[in-house]
Amino acid sequence: MKAILVLSGLGIIALLAELFRFRRVLFPLVLLGLLGAVAAALSYFWFDEGKEWNDTYVKGMLVFDTFSILSSSVIIITGLLWLMMSQSYFKEESSKTDHYALFLFSMAGAVTLTCYNNMTMLFLGIEMLSIPLYVMAGSKKDSLASNEAALKYFLLGAFSTGFLLFGITLIYGATKSFDLPTISTYVTDHAGEIPGLFHAGIVMLLVGLLFKISAAPFHFWAPDVYQGSPTSVTAFMSTVVKTAAVAGFARLFAYPGFMADAAFWGPILAVCVVLTIMVGNVFAAVQNNVKRLLAYSSISHAGFLLLAILSNAPGSVIYYTAAYSLASLAAFAVLGIIMQHSGDDAMERFNGLGKRSPLLAFTLTLALLSMAGIPPTAGFFGKYYVFMQAFASGHAWLVLAGIIGSLIGVYYYFRIIIAMYFKDVPAGAEGSPAANDLQQLVLFITSLGILVLGIMPDLLLNLFK
Amino acid sequence: MTITHILFLVLSVVAVLSAAIVVLNSNPVRNVLLLIVCFFSIAGHYVLLNAQFLAAVHVIVYAGAIMVLFLFVIMLLNLNKESEPHKPAWEKIIAVIAGGIFFVTLVGALKGTDVIVRNASGTSLGDSGIPSPEIGLVESLGKVLFSDFLVPFELSSILFLGAMVGAVMLGKKNIK
Repeated sequence: MKAILVLSGLGIIALLAELFRFRRVLFPLVLLGLLGAVAAALSYFWFDEGKEWNDTYVKGMLVFDTFSILSSSVIIITGLLWLMMSQSYFKEESSKTDHYALFLFSMAGAVTLTCYNNMTMLFLGIEMLSIPLYVMAGSKKDSLASNEAALKYFLLGAFSTGFLLFGITLIYGATKSFDLPTISTYVTDHAGEIPGLFHAGIVMLLVGLLFKISAAPFHFWAPDVYQGSPTSVTAFMSTVVKTAAVAGFARLFAYPGFMADAAFWGPILAVCVVLTIMVGNVFAAVQNNVKRLLAYSSISHAGFLLLAILSNAPGSVIYYTAAYSLASLAAFAVLGIIMQHSGDDAMERFNGLGKRSPLLAFTLTLALLSMAGIPPTAGFFGKYYVFMQAFASGHAWLVLAGIIGSLIGVYYYFRIIIAMYFKDVPAGAEGSPAANDLQQLVLFITSLGILVLGIMPDLLLNLFK
Repeated sequence: MTITHILFLVLSVVAVLSAAIVVLNSNPVRNVLLLIVCFFSIAGHYVLLNAQFLAAVHVIVYAGAIMVLFLFVIMLLNLNKESEPHKPAWEKIIAVIAGGIFFVTLVGALKGTDVIVRNASGTSLGDSGIPSPEIGLVESLGKVLFSDFLVPFELSSILFLGAMVGAVMLGKKNIK
C-alpha cells in the first residue's frame, strides 16, 4: 500500500513539474522517490499499517506477505535501474513529464498486481499496468512501427481484458464473492459440487493472464509489439511488466481454493508450458534481428515461469524473474547503445564488438549466459530451481521440454556471443559504441547482480523459508 | 408465468437477435443502430435484476456516448460495404471453430448451477429469496464504494489519470 501511494504520488508530482517548471530536477526526484518506494515495500517485513488501519480502509483488498513484499521490491528495483538506463527515452522536452507520469502509474499498477487480494484489484492492477504501456509503446509518434505496435497492443490487450473480466464474472457467479480468500474457502468447502461456471471462469482468467505474460498460444502480439516499440519501452515490457504479470498470475493460482482445482487447470497450463517454451525458442533461433530475437526469448522465459507457477513454487518464480530482469536489462541496455550508434538492430551490428567495446561485449555476454542458464550466473540457478520443483511435483515431461528448450536457447544466445568475439569488424562499422555514465552504472549493477545471485542464490531464497 | 418472466424472455430474444444481426450484417450504420437496441435490452435486464442505477449508467454511457462516437467514426471514415476487407476462408473456418468451442464451454458451464440457485435462498438474498429493492440504488452503491471498495475506487482515479495523460500525450503535436 505504502509503495503504491509513493508511486502514484510521484506520478502526480511528475505531472506538476510541467506546471511549476521543475522539469530539470525531476530525474533525481523520481530516482529518490523510487528508492523511497523500495524502502516502503521492504518495510512490511518489520511492520505494517496495523490492524485498525487495514480494517477501516483497506478492507482486505491488499495483502502483504513474503511473496508480495519480495516481488514488489524486485519490480521497483528493476524500474529504478530501467529509469537510469533509459535517459534517451525521456529526452524529448515537450512530453518529458508525461513520460515520467506514465512510467510511474504503470509501476503503481505493477505493484498492485503483486499484493492484490480481491478480483477487483487484480483487474485494476492489470489495467493500470497496461493502459500507460499502450501509450508508451506508441510514444515514437513519427515511426510507423511504433504506431502499429501501440494499436496492436491496445486492441489485443483490450480484448484479453474482456476475457479476464468475463472470467471474474463467472467466478463471482459460482462463488458469490470477489474476495479471494472467500472464494478460496468456498471452493475448498464445497469440493465436488462446484458448478461448471467456476471452471469456465478459470479458463477465461487463464486466457487473459496468459495473454499478459505473452505465453503461447496467446503470444502473437509480442514479437511485433516488442520490435515496434522504442527499445527502452521494450526493455520495460520484458522486465517490469513481465515480472508483474507473472507475479499476479502466480499469486492467483497459489490460493488454496485455486490450487485444489489444479486437476482441472493443470493440464491446460502444462500444454501452454510446452508450447511456450518450444515456440519461443524455435522462433528465436531463426531470427536475424536481435530485438526480435530477444522478444521470442522473452516468450520462452514466460514458459519457464509458467512451469514454476504450475509447480506452485513462489520462491522460484521470484528468483527466476529477478534473474531474468537483471539479464534482460543489461541486454537491452547494450542493444539500445548499439542501435543508437549504428541505427539498426541486425545481428551483423554486433560483429567484432569484443574488439570495439570490450566492456559492453563482456556485460552482454554475461547477460546472455545468464539467459541461457550457464553457471555461475543467476539464470542457471533460476532454471535449476524451477526444474527441481517441477520434478518434485511430478512434471517430469515438462522438465524434459524445458531442457530441450534451454538447449535451443544456448544455440541462439551463443550466436550473438560468437558474432561479438569471433567475427571481424565489418567495413564501415568501425568506431566503438560507448555507454554514458548512468548506463555504465546500470551495466555494472546488473552484472554484479547476475553474479552475486548466481554465486549465492540463498540470499533471496532463504527469505522464503 | 409472471410478468417478470415474460419481460425477461422478450428482452433476451431482442438482445440475442439484435446482437446476432450486428455480427452478420455488413451495413455499418444499421449495425450501430442495432447495437443500441441490444444495449437497451441489456439495460432492461439490469432493471429486472434490481440494478436501476447500473441501467441508467449503461444507457447514458453505452447507448448514448459511445454509440454517438461510433456513428461519428463511421461518418468520418465513410465506411461502406465495398471497402470492407475480405477475409480468407481459412480464417473464417478457424473463427467458427473457436467461437463454437467457446459457445460449448459456456453452455457446459451451466451444468451444476442449479446448486447455486438452491443455495441462494436464505443466504445473501434474505429469507424470502427476494433481493432487497434498495440494493441497486445510488445510495447503497455509494455506501459500498466508499467503505468496502474504497481502495479500488481511489486507485481507479490513478488509472483514469494515466489514461488521460496518455491520450493528451498522443494527441499533442511535437514542439520542435
